[in-house]
Amino acid sequence: MSFPNPATSVKLVLLGEAAVGKSSLVLRFVSNDFQENKEPTIGAAFLTQKCTIGSKVIKYEIWDTAGQERFASLAPMYYRNAQAAIVVYDVTKPASFIRARHWVKELHEQASKDITIALVGNKYDLVEQDSPEDEENNMRKVSVEEGQNLADEEGILFFESSAKSGYNVNDIFIGIGSKIPESKVASSAPGGQGSSNTEGRIDLTSNAANNNRSGGGECAC
Amino acid sequence: MGKKKPEMSQVYSHSKNEFIFGENGGKGKHLSSFLKNLSLTSSSSSLQSSTNSNVSTNDYNDINSNIYGSLSYGNSKVGSTSSNPNGIIDNGHRIIPNQRSLSVGASFSHVNAATPPPPPPNERSNTSPYSHTHSHNTGSSLLLKGPRRSHSTTRYADNDDDWDAGLEEVSKNLKIVENKNLSRVANMSDSINLQPSPVLDSLYPDLMIPISSGSAPVRSRSNSPQYKGRTSKESLDDEDYQIKLEINRLNQLNTKYSKFRRILTSDNNINLNELRKISWNGIPNELRAISWQLLLGYLPTNKTRQSSTLKRKRQEYIEGIAGVITIDFENDNTNNNGTSGNISSNLGSNNSATSLANNNRDKQIYHQINIDVKRTHPNIKLYSYPEIQTSLRKILYLWAVRHPASGYVQGINDLVTPFFQIFLGNYLWQLQRTVFGENETKLEDLQLFIPGLLDSENKDEKEQSLINDPNLLHYTIDNIDPSLISSRVYSIIEADTYWCLSRLLENITDNYIHQQPGIIRQVSELKNLISKMDLELLNHLDNEGVEFIQFSFRWMNCLLMRELSVGLIIRMWDTYLSETPLGFNNFHVYVCAAFLIKFSNDLKERDFQEILLFLQNPPTTYWKEKDIELMLSEAFIWQSLYKNASAHLK
Repeated sequence: MSFPNPATSVKLVLLGEAAVGKSSLVLRFVSNDFQENKEPTIGAAFLTQKCTIGSKVIKYEIWDTAGQERFASLAPMYYRNAQAAIVVYDVTKPASFIRARHWVKELHEQASKDITIALVGNKYDLVEQDSPEDEENNMRKVSVEEGQNLADEEGILFFESSAKSGYNVNDIFIGIGSKIPESKVASSAPGGQGSSNTEGRIDLTSNAANNNRSGGGECAC
Repeated sequence: MGKKKPEMSQVYSHSKNEFIFGENGGKGKHLSSFLKNLSLTSSSSSLQSSTNSNVSTNDYNDINSNIYGSLSYGNSKVGSTSSNPNGIIDNGHRIIPNQRSLSVGASFSHVNAATPPPPPPNERSNTSPYSHTHSHNTGSSLLLKGPRRSHSTTRYADNDDDWDAGLEEVSKNLKIVENKNLSRVANMSDSINLQPSPVLDSLYPDLMIPISSGSAPVRSRSNSPQYKGRTSKESLDDEDYQIKLEINRLNQLNTKYSKFRRILTSDNNINLNELRKISWNGIPNELRAISWQLLLGYLPTNKTRQSSTLKRKRQEYIEGIAGVITIDFENDNTNNNGTSGNISSNLGSNNSATSLANNNRDKQIYHQINIDVKRTHPNIKLYSYPEIQTSLRKILYLWAVRHPASGYVQGINDLVTPFFQIFLGNYLWQLQRTVFGENETKLEDLQLFIPGLLDSENKDEKEQSLINDPNLLHYTIDNIDPSLISSRVYSIIEADTYWCLSRLLENITDNYIHQQPGIIRQVSELKNLISKMDLELLNHLDNEGVEFIQFSFRWMNCLLMRELSVGLIIRMWDTYLSETPLGFNNFHVYVCAAFLIKFSNDLKERDFQEILLFLQNPPTTYWKEKDIELMLSEAFIWQSLYKNASAHLK
């Protein structure tokens, strides 16, 4: 486990309506695991995972926020210093797509200017069986084009994924990691670790122990 | 110095289930209660991973600070603590190096200085049947292990006869220091062992150290009148001890049950204060449902009014469900994964005129509840059954639409479950008791039954089948097939759960309204408390950039239900429900503080990420009721100290 470069920390926040699969996406990414009826997240959950992209090693510090509207007032606390955000919706739920649109807008207005955002339509596994002839009974309620259009309008990344099957999950994090500007990562490093605000700091020591606590090893990417 | 020492003679007052020590009676009752309850804490020793119980130095100052932790030792030094909140411990170390007996009293005096008049359950202190005189020269050496504040443990040898002098002095003036309070004071210390062979006693069987947990013999003082001398220096015969332990455990369970039974059956009007007092320390499983309903004020204390009140309330619930709701609760929307297209169809066939009014909002609420019920306690089988999920949906939905300021908020789905499973379990118990109970107690049993739950007209077919079911005696909420229970019973359990949940949530409405100001306040109170209780920890969290809201938001929103198993939560609620006002709001913050400080040493060695990961998944898997009881006791102490002192300590 020797890498040419020390890991750079990237603070990432997940946003999106309740029960679209935010926690499940993170669980898949961090532990390569899936739980059918995962308890709803309250407040926010914190997880970490390292990811190697080419010669770059990124350590994601992930804030997985609660989706219910009532908790939305907490969100700014978590996206305030984030360098990356994943906005998740459920491809079988139009309401969740509307909510995702709001989140993207809010991030552009409130979050750091050069935040890297990915729009993710989750639960792709549910629409795999859809047939083009029978649109009435199809599970899919948000088309790929709608998602892609929103992403293009906002200039953000777009993926469809399934936390259940694992489809495209790592790609989201690789995509974000590749897009995050080097300069941004570098400039996000504070003066040192002594500062009281450790958010967004670079973990120069690349402490492997931290990594293992999150339950997973390196991601496969 | 044997256990049979004559001055330790005791009289067991059977009628009151109390001991009377010594010939003098009366004097020193507080101290003996105190000592008696000190033992409650010892049971935690094996579980305190962060402390070491084998150190033994001769420094009673440390002991003082260990036992009383953050209590002030200076007599009436409230002023000094106000000017220097961090000086509390220092006072303990410096001010009274030579006044150990006084220090005990002084500590209490401080507790009381900061404590408002006792809550009703404590009012019996002066009239209580407790009447002991502590033997002064028992030569007891206490091995004390402090709270996390101090790593060292110290040996406290008190061989003179002034042990309780200070305490008696104080107790004369202070009515609050009464058995229960002292027991909580006592629980401040992590562990107290009597030397050389630790002799422990406990009124409460569930606080006992399991036989297997320690090599040293641990003996419980039971209700056996034969018991002599609790400070024996002689090693007890191991075998003898273990037999006694088992007998005592059963006796104590029985005693506890009898006490509850007496309170619940002795009078036409149940004495709520007595019930609160005894429930604080835990309620027997069988009597929990009725006790909770009484403590919440749902079930009237006046027995002549119980049946009619419950009947009316249950009818109200049924009408509420029938009237307000046009949702097909049976349809859990499983197959379509809650796509919005199907939510509206899920709202039922009656989707025409009436329901369209608040339709959109209610639809969203129902959708959210529907999603969350499916993932409520995913690891407990009971909650995976459709019957149970239907009941939860109904309860949560009715509550949400009746409380539009908050509506349904995630976390409330957790709070509904303790009530539901306790009431469901109570139904099974009532059936079992009816079928298998002893004849001579049957009439009295009826007074322990929540009225109206059993079908008096024998028309409930499912109930009849259950009564004739050969397995009835083995059914618990963990193995019952919920389809064996009739809808009549479910609607009663739902109604009772609904009303009890409503009572609980009344105490914390601010937690679930827009922006959740109640939780924000509680989180900031928690931080404030930690600044007084464990400044080092606070500084460490600050230095690492950990914000309290990041880990304690959930503690408040779900009342620690995500951190502790349901069984432990239920025990915790016994105490919460016995607090006045109910402990779900303010007292809970003290519990959270006690909870956080349990992990203080662990946390201080961790960095930002490790702290958050640790606190998201705190190591409570192997916690037992006694761990909860220790935590509740600590919380009680801190509440006594800080409740009315917070303003000037800020």
